[in-house]
Amino acid sequence: MNWKKLLLRNETALIIAIILLSITIGVKSPEFFTLSTLFDIFRSSFVQLLFALGVLVVIISGGIDVSFPIVGIFAGYTAVVIMQKFDLNQNSLMIPIVLAIVIGIVLGGLNSIAIASFGIPTLIATLGTAGIFRGIMLTFIGSSFISDIPVGLDNFATADLLQIQPENGTLARLHVLIIPIAIITILVSLLLSRTMFGRSVYALGGGVEATRRLGISVKRTQAKIYMLVGALSGLAGILYVSLQRKANPYDLAGSELDIIAAVVLGGASIMGGYGTVFGTVLGVILISLIKNNLILLGVSGSWQRAAVGALLLIGITVQAISETRKAKNRRVSTNDEAA
Amino acid sequence: MNERWNKLNTGLLADRKITQLLAITIGTLLVFSILSPNIFFSPNNFKSMSYQVPEIAILSIAVMLSMLTGGIDLSIVSISNAAALVAAWVMTSKSDTTGTESLMWILIACALGIIVGLIAGGINSILIAKLDVTPILATLATMTLFNGIAIGMTDGVSVSGLPQEFMRVGNGTFFGIPTPFVLMIIIAGAVGIWINRTTLGLKVFLVGTNRKAAQYSVMGDRKVIAWVYLASGFLSALAGLIIASRTSAASPDFGSSYILLAIVIVVLGGVNPMGGFGTVTGVILATVVLQMVSSGFNALRFSQFFYLAAQGGVLIFVMILNVVLENRRVNKSIAKSLRS
Repeated sequence: MNWKKLLLRNETALIIAIILLSITIGVKSPEFFTLSTLFDIFRSSFVQLLFALGVLVVIISGGIDVSFPIVGIFAGYTAVVIMQKFDLNQNSLMIPIVLAIVIGIVLGGLNSIAIASFGIPTLIATLGTAGIFRGIMLTFIGSSFISDIPVGLDNFATADLLQIQPENGTLARLHVLIIPIAIITILVSLLLSRTMFGRSVYALGGGVEATRRLGISVKRTQAKIYMLVGALSGLAGILYVSLQRKANPYDLAGSELDIIAAVVLGGASIMGGYGTVFGTVLGVILISLIKNNLILLGVSGSWQRAAVGALLLIGITVQAISETRKAKNRRVSTNDEAA
Repeated sequence: MNERWNKLNTGLLADRKITQLLAITIGTLLVFSILSPNIFFSPNNFKSMSYQVPEIAILSIAVMLSMLTGGIDLSIVSISNAAALVAAWVMTSKSDTTGTESLMWILIACALGIIVGLIAGGINSILIAKLDVTPILATLATMTLFNGIAIGMTDGVSVSGLPQEFMRVGNGTFFGIPTPFVLMIIIAGAVGIWINRTTLGLKVFLVGTNRKAAQYSVMGDRKVIAWVYLASGFLSALAGLIIASRTSAASPDFGSSYILLAIVIVVLGGVNPMGGFGTVTGVILATVVLQMVSSGFNALRFSQFFYLAAQGGVLIFVMILNVVLENRRVNKSIAKSLRS
C-alpha cells in the first residue's frame, strides 16, 4: 500500500477536515459531542445525499444538472396533491413514494430528450427545464402550502429505528431511513463500479468521441443517466416532504448549489470521468456539518452561504491546480521519451 | 473566391438572424397589442418597459461576452447586487451631507461599486484564465461566494433610502428618452465597437470558435478570456448601479431569476452557447421581445410563474430549433459535396 498516495487522496483530506471541524466545534461548545447531534446530522443529510448521488452520476458523465431540486419538489408536492385529489389510501407510505419516483422519472425523461436527443448543452437544457417545471408546478398544480400531508407520510417523519435517552440531555433518535439510504448508496456505488452502465458513465466523462468509438451508445447512456437522476430526485423530494411534515412548493429551489458543492468537494472531477460514492458521502456530511453548526462556532447563520461558496471555491481550485500539474508531468514524461 | 463566398455567406447568415428577430419582435408586439389593446398598448406600458429593458439588457450583454468565448458567467447577478450594495452603503452612510459634497460622495460610491465589480470579475478571470477551472463551476462558486458575502454583511436585509440625486439617473429622462435607456445604448455601442472593431474583440470570437487553434497561433488566449470576464464583472456592476438607482434600494437577493432570463435572451438573440458567434443587436432585440412577453403576460394577468415556464420553454425551443437547423444545413452541404 502506498501511504503517500493514500494521504493525498481526496477522501483522506475530507475525513481530516471533518475531524478537525468537529474538534473545533466541540471545543467551543461541548454539547456538540452528543449522540443526538450525530443523529441530527444524519437526519439532515438523508435528502441531500440522495440528491448528491444523482448529481454525482451526472458530474462523472461530464455534464451538470441544475434542475434536480425542482424535479424533487415537483415530484414530492405533486404526489401529495394526487394523494389528496384522488383520495388514495392515506395511510400508505408506498403509494406516494412510488408516485414521486414515477414523476421524477418522467421529468428526468424530459431532460433526457433535451440532452440526449437534441444534444443541448447540459447546463442550458436543465436551466430551461427547471424553469418550465417550476412554472408548471406553481401555475397549474398548486402554489399553496399543504400542511396536512397524508397520515402515512406524516407518521414516517417520526419513525425512529432506535431512541437512546442519555442520563442528562436530549433524546437521541436515529431515523429508520438510515437503512434504506445506506442500501441505495451501496447500490449506486455498485452500479457505478460493477455494471456496464456505470462504466459507460465514466467513459462518457473521459471523452465523448472515445466512448462512441468503443461502441457505447452515447445517447442511450445519457438518457439513462438523466432518468436515474430524476428517479433519485423524486425519491429525495417525497422524503423531504415527509421529514418536513409539510409540502411547500417554494422549497428546495436554490439548494442545487449546496449539493453540487458537496459532490465537487467529494472529489468528483469537474471535467468528468472521475468520482466516488464514498467521497460524495463525506462531502455531504462536511457541508451539512458546516451548515448546521456554524452558529455553534460563533458565526452568524447568515454567513452559511458564503461558507459554502468559499469551500466550493477552494475545492475546485485545488482540483484545477492538481489537474494542471498532472498534465504538465505527463508532458514532461512524453518529452523524455521523445528524447 | 471561396473565401470571399464564405465571408458573404456568414454576413448574410448574421443578417438573417437579425431579420428573424425583428420579425419576432414585431409579431410579439402585434399579438399582445391585439390581445390587450388597453393595458399593453398604452404609452404608460411602453414607458415602464423602457425603464426595465436596460438593466437586463446590460446583464445579457455580459453573459454574451462570456458565451462568445464558449464559457458562461453565472455570477453576474451576484456581482451586480454586491456592487449595488457597496454603493448604497456608502451613500446612505453619507446621507447627511449636502450640495456638492453629497454629489461627490455619490460619485465615489458609484466608483467603489464599479471597483467591486472589477475585483469580482478579476477573481473570475484568475480562476478561469489562469487556473483553468471550468467556467460553469468557477462562476457557480463565485456566485455563491459573492452572494453569501452580501447576505452575511447585510444579514439579508436590503439597503434603501438612497439620495434623490442618485435616483434621478434611474428614473429621469435625457432629452425625453429615459436615462437608463440612453446608458444602455451607449454601453451596447461601446461593446459592439469593442468586439467588432478592435483586435482584442476579434480575438474573442477566434478563441470562442476554436480555442486550440487560437492557442497554436499564439494570440494569448488566456489574456483574451481574462479580459472577457473582467468586462463581464464591470458590466454587471453598471447594471447593479442602474437597478439601485431605479428602485432606490439594493438587496443581496434581488433578481435571482435574472440569470435564467439573461441566458434565455442571449440564446434567443442568436448567440451560440458553444462560442464564436453573436451580435449585440441580437441581444438587445431579444431583450425587448422578452420584456414585451413579460409585460404582456402581466397585462393579461398571467401569473409570474407562467412567465418563468415560458422563459424555460423559449430557451429549450430555440436550442432545439438551432440544432435541427444546423443538422439540416450540415446534411445539405454533405449532399452537395457528394453530388459535385
